[in-house]
Amino acid sequence: MSKKFSPIPVTVISGFLGAGKTTLLNRILNGDHGRKIAVMVNDFGEINIDSQLIVSAEQSMVNLSNGCICCTVESDLIEQLHKLINLRERPEYILIETSGVSDPSKVVNTLCYPQFRQQLTVDAVVAIIDADNFSSLDGDRRKLAMDQLSVADIVVINKTDLATTRQVESFRQQWLYPYARVFETQFADIPVELLLGTELFETNHSPSKSGHQCNANCDHNHNQQFATYSWESDQPLSLSKLRHALKQLPENLYRAKGFVYLAESPKHRCKVHLVGSRVEIEKEERWQQMPKNQLVMIGWNNLDAAHLNQALENCYS
Amino acid sequence: MDPGRPWAEAVAIKDGRFIAVGGRAEMDALRDEHTREVDLQGRFAMPGLYDMHTHPDLSLAPGYADYLDVGLESPTPDDIAKAILDYAESHPGDGWIYGSYFVHFTFRQAEIEPGCEWLDTVMPDRPVAILDRSWGSMMVNSKALALANITADTPDPGNGFIQRDSITGEATGILIDGAYAMIHAAMPPTPQHALKRAYREGVQYQSSRGVVATKYVHVCEHRLEALKSIDDAGEMTLRVEAAISWQDDIFPVKRRWELLSGERHYYRSARLNANAVKFHFDGVHETRSSYLSSPWPGEEKWRGGLNLTPEHITDMVVDLDRRGIRVISHCTGDGASDLFLDAVAEARRVNGGGVRHQCAHSTLLLEENLARFKELNVTAEFSPAVWYPSDFAYARTQAGEEKMKTLYNFKGVLDAGGVAVMGTDWPVSNINPWIGFETMVTRKNPWGDYSEPFYGEPISLEQAIKVMTINGAWSMGIEHKAGSIEVGKSADLIVLDRNLFELEPQGNLHNTRVDITVMEGEIVWDRLDQFEQAELEAVWKSDQVPTFYERMED
Ligand SMILES: [Zn+2]
Ligand SMILES: [Zn+2]
Ligand SMILES: [Zn+2]
Repeated sequence: MSKKFSPIPVTVISGFLGAGKTTLLNRILNGDHGRKIAVMVNDFGEINIDSQLIVSAEQSMVNLSNGCICCTVESDLIEQLHKLINLRERPEYILIETSGVSDPSKVVNTLCYPQFRQQLTVDAVVAIIDADNFSSLDGDRRKLAMDQLSVADIVVINKTDLATTRQVESFRQQWLYPYARVFETQFADIPVELLLGTELFETNHSPSKSGHQCNANCDHNHNQQFATYSWESDQPLSLSKLRHALKQLPENLYRAKGFVYLAESPKHRCKVHLVGSRVEIEKEERWQQMPKNQLVMIGWNNLDAAHLNQALENCYS
Repeated sequence: MDPGRPWAEAVAIKDGRFIAVGGRAEMDALRDEHTREVDLQGRFAMPGLYDMHTHPDLSLAPGYADYLDVGLESPTPDDIAKAILDYAESHPGDGWIYGSYFVHFTFRQAEIEPGCEWLDTVMPDRPVAILDRSWGSMMVNSKALALANITADTPDPGNGFIQRDSITGEATGILIDGAYAMIHAAMPPTPQHALKRAYREGVQYQSSRGVVATKYVHVCEHRLEALKSIDDAGEMTLRVEAAISWQDDIFPVKRRWELLSGERHYYRSARLNANAVKFHFDGVHETRSSYLSSPWPGEEKWRGGLNLTPEHITDMVVDLDRRGIRVISHCTGDGASDLFLDAVAEARRVNGGGVRHQCAHSTLLLEENLARFKELNVTAEFSPAVWYPSDFAYARTQAGEEKMKTLYNFKGVLDAGGVAVMGTDWPVSNINPWIGFETMVTRKNPWGDYSEPFYGEPISLEQAIKVMTINGAWSMGIEHKAGSIEVGKSADLIVLDRNLFELEPQGNLHNTRVDITVMEGEIVWDRLDQFEQAELEAVWKSDQVPTFYERMED
């Protein structure tokens, strides 16, 4: 494949049956985002996992597929991805819904195979959780729930009428790990921008979508809209401090993007891509102008600008 | 003997061979003062069984290798650290600490990034590798990375990758899929004691179920060593054809080329040979990676995948055929077996006659290829034994209704004059050969779990007996000296607790008990301890043999 295209962002959405994935997908597909989105429903994995479970139920060890590549690789997924990449009308975005019984980390791993590096980039991994359902998980479903949450960048708690505040609270206590980025909603009413993050950073999209620009003097409530926070500075940052700070951002801060000037890589510009709790900092080309840090952060409702500013200034090397 | 009735009323055995087969009166004529008479009290005797594809080593050895087993359902990083330290203490030295498992979720809960940085704080000076619970990744420490020569410059393997720091490019100590093989290659092989115990238990079990010959497909020099030590100890109570693995992703085969060019003869005995090779040509039905002759349902182009090019296979079959080595090719899709048969055809064109090669699994075969098994002298091996309704079997039935009608097509191959055999392919299906035996006749669930029959056509009991016996001998190239009860052949027979012709097969054949197994005239299995303390005492005692699947034997 030629390199003239930039990699297609892929969002992976996991969750058990009934958690609201289908509602969400329909919303995205019918939304007026003006993008060519390809949706893949990864239901082939279902059979695969089922059969593994059956084998293990009958036998004490099932490590045959463990070492043997021909049994573990998701070749069907690989082929489908190749097909999408090579479509004449190349999709601008790919959404993969993993079925209720397959392990989304396997899908994410496949997206990162060397053969896709120029073609695809993992934008976000979102786990949709039905808080009501989670209280009673056991056995293999419990293990799968852990897999879904451990690979998730953003955890969406989807409240049906049934889920009470107490259930949500107990879900948070039992299942959430530190610094999880959480979005609470009802009837899978999730802003599309949360899933297809690129929208939020594009200036040519309607400003109402990206809400208003918060600054350090901002001291008011923002409800049901995105808030943006921008930060600039020309002092070099420490990579480890930055990684640490970005990990500890508030739970309603979902995305950040920009460039940083790192002490560890002073000659090269480094790109930051943050989705929920996943932080990627990658070395790019040499600085063309004076090195500086430029970050844009996006959260839902309220962003505490003073706090964010402090957190970033603490990263100076 | 009437080939249509390969069972007998009375036999006489001398020096490991049948010297007479027939009625009682004929036997009396051969009697002398050294003759021992065994009265089977009218029990049913038949030739011993042939399981032509199975893996006791892959099923059992990892469990016997004494690897680290954290032993908790969802261990925390602290639990894992403790387990590693305990293991190091009870296994002193500088050897590998390898095992399972960790859980990504508990690391997130503990705010720890899994990888070499954390693992080095637990165990810096011995190599450590630990798999995650869903087998999606392997966590290794710096020592392990160093021994496997994994650095920032190491290229990623196919179908997998080395997770790296995005700024420095250094490996983080998390390896994905295909990258495990780099660690396995750096590790010592599965310990000899584990391999030996695994094979020995496999042999014991198989003898106790009436198996007199088997193929252990995928071996390396270490596996052959283990098999040889069992053989040398006089405990190889069945004939074993071992197939050298053509690939390194199951376990590395460091001496493959030496083995193939002649070192394999070192292991050769009357009971053991390694004159075969096994490789995975395509994938499996569960992940739709089997290579089909047409696209998978719902796909425009995707036909599954081949792990090796057809050219590779053709050159390899021609070359090995010339050297007298049997090629056993994993072909689950009808497109893979089609190409494999083409490769054998080319070998026949170049070399003439030659070795009987083996199409393993044969899950789906093209109608037009059925006759080629006879034409090309290729064995159609059907495995694993899941040709009856079960959740597991139905997980393999995605290739479309039309194709499913011909799933595991014993009948098609036999009707076209070809040789069909069966394999348990343990651990993919149960090592008890009687389940496959019953269900090739019924295509029904032996325990009545499902009322409808499975896809595909049943064969007759007479045909099934041949599949289980003489056909196996043919696929090993020993049908002239074993595989049936005939004068001059090796005295291999089994005595059963029931007459297979006097029962309704469904529900009554899979749980057949083998009372006695005789191998080359020697009693190797004696379920009822009939011959205890006697001259004819069996090699294996009934209380020695492990049961692997209690439920499935009743
Ligand atoms: Zn504001
Ligand atoms: Zn196979
Ligand atoms: Zn196998």
